[in-house]
Amino acid sequence: MTSSSRTVVACLLGMGSAVAVAFANKSGLSEPPPAPAVPQVTFNRDIAPILFHSCAICHHPGEAGPFALLTYADAKARARQIAAVTAKRFMPPWLPEQQELKFADELRLSEDQIALIQKWVDEGASEGAPGDLPPAPHFVPGWQLGQPDKIIEAEKPYTLPASGSDMYWNFIFRTPVARTRWLNAIEIRPGDKRVVHHANILVDRGQSARRQEKVPGAGFPGMELKIASETFDPDSHFLFWKPGTVPRAEPEGMSLRLDQDTDLVLNIHLQPSGKPEKIQPSLGLYFTNQPATLFPLLLQMENDRQLDIPAGEKHFVVTDDFTLPLDVELLAIYPHAHYLGRDLQALATLPDGSKKRLIHIPQWDLNWQAVYRYAAPVPLPKGTTISMRYVYDNSSENPANPNDPPQRVVGGNRSSDEMAHLWLQVLPRTPTEAAFDPRMLLQEAMARHNVEKNPDDFEAHYNLAAMLLARGVQAEAVQQFAQAVRLRPQDATANNALGASLLAAGRFADAIPYLSAALKAQPDNFDAQYNLANALVSQDRFVDAIEHYRVAVRLRPDDANAEANLGSALAEIGKLAEAKLHFQRALRIDPNHKLARENLEQISHDSKNPQE
Amino acid sequence: MHASSVISQRRSFSCTLLMAAAFALALPLSQAAQKTALHLDGTAAKPFQRAPGKPVVLVFVRTDCPISNRYAPLIQRISSQYANKVAFWLVYLGKTASADKIRQHQSEYGYRVPALRDPQHVLVAEAQVLVTPEAAVFDAHHRLVYHGRIDNSYEDVGRSRPAATTHELDEAIQAVLSGKTPPPNSPGVGCFIADLE
Repeated sequence: MTSSSRTVVACLLGMGSAVAVAFANKSGLSEPPPAPAVPQVTFNRDIAPILFHSCAICHHPGEAGPFALLTYADAKARARQIAAVTAKRFMPPWLPEQQELKFADELRLSEDQIALIQKWVDEGASEGAPGDLPPAPHFVPGWQLGQPDKIIEAEKPYTLPASGSDMYWNFIFRTPVARTRWLNAIEIRPGDKRVVHHANILVDRGQSARRQEKVPGAGFPGMELKIASETFDPDSHFLFWKPGTVPRAEPEGMSLRLDQDTDLVLNIHLQPSGKPEKIQPSLGLYFTNQPATLFPLLLQMENDRQLDIPAGEKHFVVTDDFTLPLDVELLAIYPHAHYLGRDLQALATLPDGSKKRLIHIPQWDLNWQAVYRYAAPVPLPKGTTISMRYVYDNSSENPANPNDPPQRVVGGNRSSDEMAHLWLQVLPRTPTEAAFDPRMLLQEAMARHNVEKNPDDFEAHYNLAAMLLARGVQAEAVQQFAQAVRLRPQDATANNALGASLLAAGRFADAIPYLSAALKAQPDNFDAQYNLANALVSQDRFVDAIEHYRVAVRLRPDDANAEANLGSALAEIGKLAEAKLHFQRALRIDPNHKLARENLEQISHDSKNPQE
Repeated sequence: MHASSVISQRRSFSCTLLMAAAFALALPLSQAAQKTALHLDGTAAKPFQRAPGKPVVLVFVRTDCPISNRYAPLIQRISSQYANKVAFWLVYLGKTASADKIRQHQSEYGYRVPALRDPQHVLVAEAQVLVTPEAAVFDAHHRLVYHGRIDNSYEDVGRSRPAATTHELDEAIQAVLSGKTPPPNSPGVGCFIADLE
């Protein structure tokens, strides 16, 4: 009996509160609801946990947020602002829509949380009982991963003007290592976080970005950056900073290689604040003794050539579809467009026909672009097709439109151009005993995809040829290099590569015209000098060959092969004394140089036993 | 006679003191009548009385509102442009914005516009502004002819244009100077003034 009557009472209470809610909603239509005697939502109990978890990471002193949100006074002084920006989902900044595949560190507020903030403000933003307040979040001051092993600061600061449009600046950091080292983290300190919207490190192993600096060490402007590389050394890690980024060590086995003479180029997106701001970023390097054992790769899907958006066009679609040639794990994703991008999404269609949404950003905002890391690696089997589909709005209804009135916009690197890029960090899943680097297979498939997508893409032909050559598929490599040369007949690198691939295929005479063309375009191209000399030797044109070897050793005095081959060519025409000198030089550079040693012994033997 | 006159003078002297004390005590009871904006030196500011027959422009800012800060170079430029034709004031809001803090802010952001504080939101009420930054333009008769955004650089918080395509403050000033129709009032985008109450 007793227990039954208790149940009845509880039911009545529940009904009572339901009625009260309905009443409040109804009365809200005509006049403001009577302020409840005791507010139902308080800062200490309800709002502080939300702010501490989702806002304070940027909204604390020294961080990117323009004000702190750590105390009741902080929140009260911004209460309506907080309600407005959370209701619009401008804050916290998190562009992707909710989906099955979860991202790490999601900053999204739930509908309930947003409604709670709204209610708190409507009820007068009360503080509540002191006992309800959770402990304030603790933030580590300074370097987030502890004192770095090495700190490098940008050589010269950049001063951002007080006003004007967004600025993109590149700082070049010379690496402070005397030998190859491994890093398990790089922490980016971009300078004044209130004006830096995002920052991105590019690894420049060939120091190619330095050519863009007018004053050495001063950096240079530019939104997009192209890093040239002569060797197969694909980017493997996203090195990205945005407001609120907590740096993290790379996963076990995925340390980053840092060689001597490698530059780290920091590309920074800045927004003027109203006063001039001096920006001088620094990087904290954390070394490890563990060389990488896992080799992820950044795959770049894109379709910039589809970008030719008529003025006023509200719904311009760009797509790209790439099928994986092997099993991978998808670790992170980075969609990228400029100011006209509106709706960005990527979908994976698995071989069994099932589909996984990889990301969907319904309202793209360049200012809040980010690398999104998955909460857990996403397995994508061989044969999975990844599809990107980006929608662009080039009408005047898009407030970010750089042109007023709208203009035709095409693909390009300037911020007024447009881009359609999707970067994926993938870890190939292949048996460790595989004889080839699985990343090469991925790159080859991507290059082949690009060649099919655009037969006039010089780089795609060149890269495909390079991958084929590395895999020993010489005949097709020659064909692809020839396509590259057809597209850019004056290009020294492509001509040299075609010549070299012909040499590798034993077609010495065919190689000579391309190697000569490479040298015509770029006389100080060591590779072309050396290759042409070798080709001439194969035709018994020793005197001509000697000329090119001489240039080659001048260009690169520490190349043992060039010295040894010059010695051999000299010996062929009987200049033994001079030949001996070059064999000796080759041996000084490389004491184990077999050809130089054997030839030197031969000359010494011949000179002891002349005219046998 | 002599003695009595001295006494009476003393009385009137002490009477003045008493009145002053009574006035100070009465202040909280009739605050509405006594509310005033302040110069940075703490004295009462009367921007309208100081500019008889002249248009008055008030631009409302905060030291800690990133959007009003981004407007600093433009506000300074417009105020210089019309320096002799209108009385231009920067009105700082926020109880924590002390005179020293405002002076420092002005120097950092390159402001040369004279600044006022409006801790009691007297000018806020007269100008009918809701966020920082917003501007209010009063004609030569000191009638409010425009209040709202400076331009349309911001469509919303976090949604800005690379360059503004409408220039309401500039148009409104030109309107009061030439007698033309001012632009329609457009709400500003920025930090809610009501949060400061």
